[in-house]
Amino acid sequence: MEVKTKKIAAIVTIAIVAAIIAIAIWPHSEEVTIRTTGATFPQYQVQKWINEYQKIKSSVKIEYEGGGSGHGQEAFLQGLTQIGRTDPPVTEEVWNKFEKTGDRPLQFPEVVGAVVVSYNVPGITHLNLSQNTLVGIFIGDIEYWNDPRIAQDNPGINLPHQQIIVVHRSDASGTTDIFTTYLSLINSTWADEVGAGKTVEWPVDKMGRGLAGNGNPGVVAILKQTEYSICYTELSFAINENLPTAALENKDGYFVKPTDNTIKEAVSKVSSNIPVPEEGYKEDLKQLLNAPGNDSYPIVAFTHMLVWKNINGKHYSHDEAIAIKEFLKWVLTDGQKPENLAPGYVGLPEDVANIGLEAVNSIEVP
Amino acid sequence: MYPFNLRKLKDLLFLVITGILSLLMIIPLLHIIFTVFVEGIGVIIRVGPIFVTGTLSDGGIGPAIAGTFILTFLASIIGIPIAFAVGVYAYEYPDSIIGRATTALLEIMLEFPTILVGLFVTQIIVIPMGTYSAIAGAFSLAIILMPYVAVYTKEAMSQIPFTFREAAFGLGISKIKTVFLIIAPIAKRGILTGLLISIAKVAGETAPLLFTAGGLYQSYPQGITNPVGAIPLLIYTLVQSPSPSDHAMAWGASLVLLLIFLGVFIPLRLSIKEVKL
Amino acid sequence: MIKIKSVKMDAFDLITYPAVFFVFLLFLWMLLVYFTNSLPAFQREGLNVYLKNIWIASEIPNKEYYGILAAIWGSLYTSLIALAIALPLSISYSIFVGDYLPRKFKEFMIIVSDIMAGLPTIIYGIWGAFFLVPFIKNWVMDPVYEYLPFISKFSQKPASGFSFLSAGVLLGIMITPFISAVVREAYGMVPHTYREAAYSLGLTKYEATKILMGYIKPAIISGVILGFGRAIGETVAVSLVVGNAFNLSANPFSPGYTISSLIATQYGNSFIYEHMTSVLYAAGLFLFFIGLIINLLGIYLLRRWRKNVSL
Repeated sequence: MEVKTKKIAAIVTIAIVAAIIAIAIWPHSEEVTIRTTGATFPQYQVQKWINEYQKIKSSVKIEYEGGGSGHGQEAFLQGLTQIGRTDPPVTEEVWNKFEKTGDRPLQFPEVVGAVVVSYNVPGITHLNLSQNTLVGIFIGDIEYWNDPRIAQDNPGINLPHQQIIVVHRSDASGTTDIFTTYLSLINSTWADEVGAGKTVEWPVDKMGRGLAGNGNPGVVAILKQTEYSICYTELSFAINENLPTAALENKDGYFVKPTDNTIKEAVSKVSSNIPVPEEGYKEDLKQLLNAPGNDSYPIVAFTHMLVWKNINGKHYSHDEAIAIKEFLKWVLTDGQKPENLAPGYVGLPEDVANIGLEAVNSIEVP
Repeated sequence: MYPFNLRKLKDLLFLVITGILSLLMIIPLLHIIFTVFVEGIGVIIRVGPIFVTGTLSDGGIGPAIAGTFILTFLASIIGIPIAFAVGVYAYEYPDSIIGRATTALLEIMLEFPTILVGLFVTQIIVIPMGTYSAIAGAFSLAIILMPYVAVYTKEAMSQIPFTFREAAFGLGISKIKTVFLIIAPIAKRGILTGLLISIAKVAGETAPLLFTAGGLYQSYPQGITNPVGAIPLLIYTLVQSPSPSDHAMAWGASLVLLLIFLGVFIPLRLSIKEVKL
Repeated sequence: MIKIKSVKMDAFDLITYPAVFFVFLLFLWMLLVYFTNSLPAFQREGLNVYLKNIWIASEIPNKEYYGILAAIWGSLYTSLIALAIALPLSISYSIFVGDYLPRKFKEFMIIVSDIMAGLPTIIYGIWGAFFLVPFIKNWVMDPVYEYLPFISKFSQKPASGFSFLSAGVLLGIMITPFISAVVREAYGMVPHTYREAAYSLGLTKYEATKILMGYIKPAIISGVILGFGRAIGETVAVSLVVGNAFNLSANPFSPGYTISSLIATQYGNSFIYEHMTSVLYAAGLFLFFIGLIINLLGIYLLRRWRKNVSL
């Protein structure tokens, strides 16, 4: 009896020790895994880049993680991800937290996208929204789809007498920041009562007409499941999920649908002013918003990446630093070519891409 | 005769109502299993074996399956020895103050909100380490595993008749030998079953992994201090996507998880009389 | 060498005491982590953290202000709905399985219940999000709105299936097996003599059961309390169906938040704000204490009852 038990105990012990050793010396292959975390605004674009890049460089695996711009900044701050993603430029407060780590953060735009207003109203495939109507819906003043203010923007369309459900983000989101910054820009009531930020207090929540989803995917998933709802998201989500997008009234008073062309038009009408990557917090989120021009779509923004300068190899190992530099260099050059862009995004103007390249080149390889 | 009939009628009605409500209780489970099979089988057949071996961009959930096994294995290594010792202790001293406190603590931990464990481990391991890791996720799971294992161990050993102990002590065998070499082997079956049921339970946990394991779906795990994925975590992410192909993946992954769970749980459950979950 | 004469430590104690000590330490450590991390929130806002429904996350720290009342309300509300569903099911199940079913089916029903208890919660989650939410919208909310518009709560067309009700129903399904287990065990522990006495008086099964149910009432109550504890701590499944909106409504058809869902959705981005992390730990602390009190109470009642029965 005792001998048998001892035998079993010995076997179990050996098995456990062997397993621990096996895990400790896990076959470290040649593969390098890079993680990028945060904004879901550029999700389709980043996934496209990853897929394309994997074809030419299979030894580097890139792990996409969502979570929103807020999570991207947090994970980047704590070193939980190698490449952070944030739509709005990082604020000075958070930038200072980055610098406290003893390393230098670098921020640069990766691509241009648009925040679109999408809706799920059976039978309605075209919708015009003037600036005041847009604000009215999202602030909760306009409760029903057949409100006279919506009807006025859409003559001849048969609007249902149904409550409007507003779907917004539950996480700290760059898409929300861009959208609410725009609403604050065009409407002082919004600016005073709700304001702009990655997270805002949605008045519709307290009316029982607000729903929240995690990340752009979560928002769009809820929209698709919920009739008579409306949401804001990135253009690519509307394209990929075949959702209708509203034509928004732009600065010059025209109703403009979001397309590659109307985004490009907006970008071309303003001169973008990107600070050096070491001072990313100085960038102005508003620069591409509410651009002039007949065909300019009003809610256009850069979305950004965050990397460390890697002073003294503080954040990246030798292999990681090389892999990150190569990947980002590709993103900012070949990655900006039309064949590597996902539908719903527009490549960076060349001078902006060059600012990013400078940043990437300055990453130190230990 | 009238009152008698009314009583009989009431009795019959009672039978019918309890019967219907009991049926109503198990219908959701049957529907869940049915739905997961119907929705999940399609994608698995379409993708083929790649579904369980390939990475996410190949259309597979291989790294997530690997991650779940690694996490569960590590959690077992960390949790079982401690929990076993605690369970033995609670068995040996059921009436001492510490013994009673231990039993109470175990029962509290059994019911503890798992998200709180995840946050705790993030604070004490992930943030100091500066990375999500398999070890952090496993530690989370281990904390959840421990009370189950301890309670099972205690109860399995309590089933053993007291005469065995008396006989052993009568022969002058020490307490440690009595408990570990006589009582424990006799209760082996109960203890092992309890272990496996506990492991099956934690393998399906999601919340404790949310901020600890990190997730890894494009490549296979590369060591215990690196992030890993897990099937439940992957499902949680995929469910929140709008795209039908992600939903199909989520159902497929759910089917895999369900099969793993049922495959472990049903044979074990059939072999014993009671479980505590 | 220090000699401790009064305490005899043999090899058994040397092995088991450290493990027991470790588990206690772990628990206290957890409490400490939650306590210290939530302290700044209490210092800044006092009990308003729990008493206000407000969520202003700003990167300018002075503007930040948080109150999780809506989440507390949602947790309590959804758990109560869950109990209202689980309780009749569990009691019926215990009686039906205990008294009426032949042995073979009895085993089957018990195994099904055990599977329900152990099933990974994310599977309830995916089923809840893709099946239950639209089901409740189409088969519960819309008909109620259609036929009971005179009840003011239901006079508005329900917005979506993501709601307190969906979360409550899903939780109810999830906790039924736990409550059932307690009730069934208690029902089985009723001394045979009681049953025989009841039948010998000529009572029908229904009448006898009614009396026996009164007898195990304390066990039912503790089962309810334990079920409530499970419901309030559940995270991912609820997060996928509750809608995640800061809403203090009593309308079961409107979307809301729960404490655990709030933590799950916000913790990943809380560190970029100055004060949010601390508030989430305060939310966790609340859950911690609710869980502690509820479980202690449930365990205490159950133990007391078991003791009484076995006497």
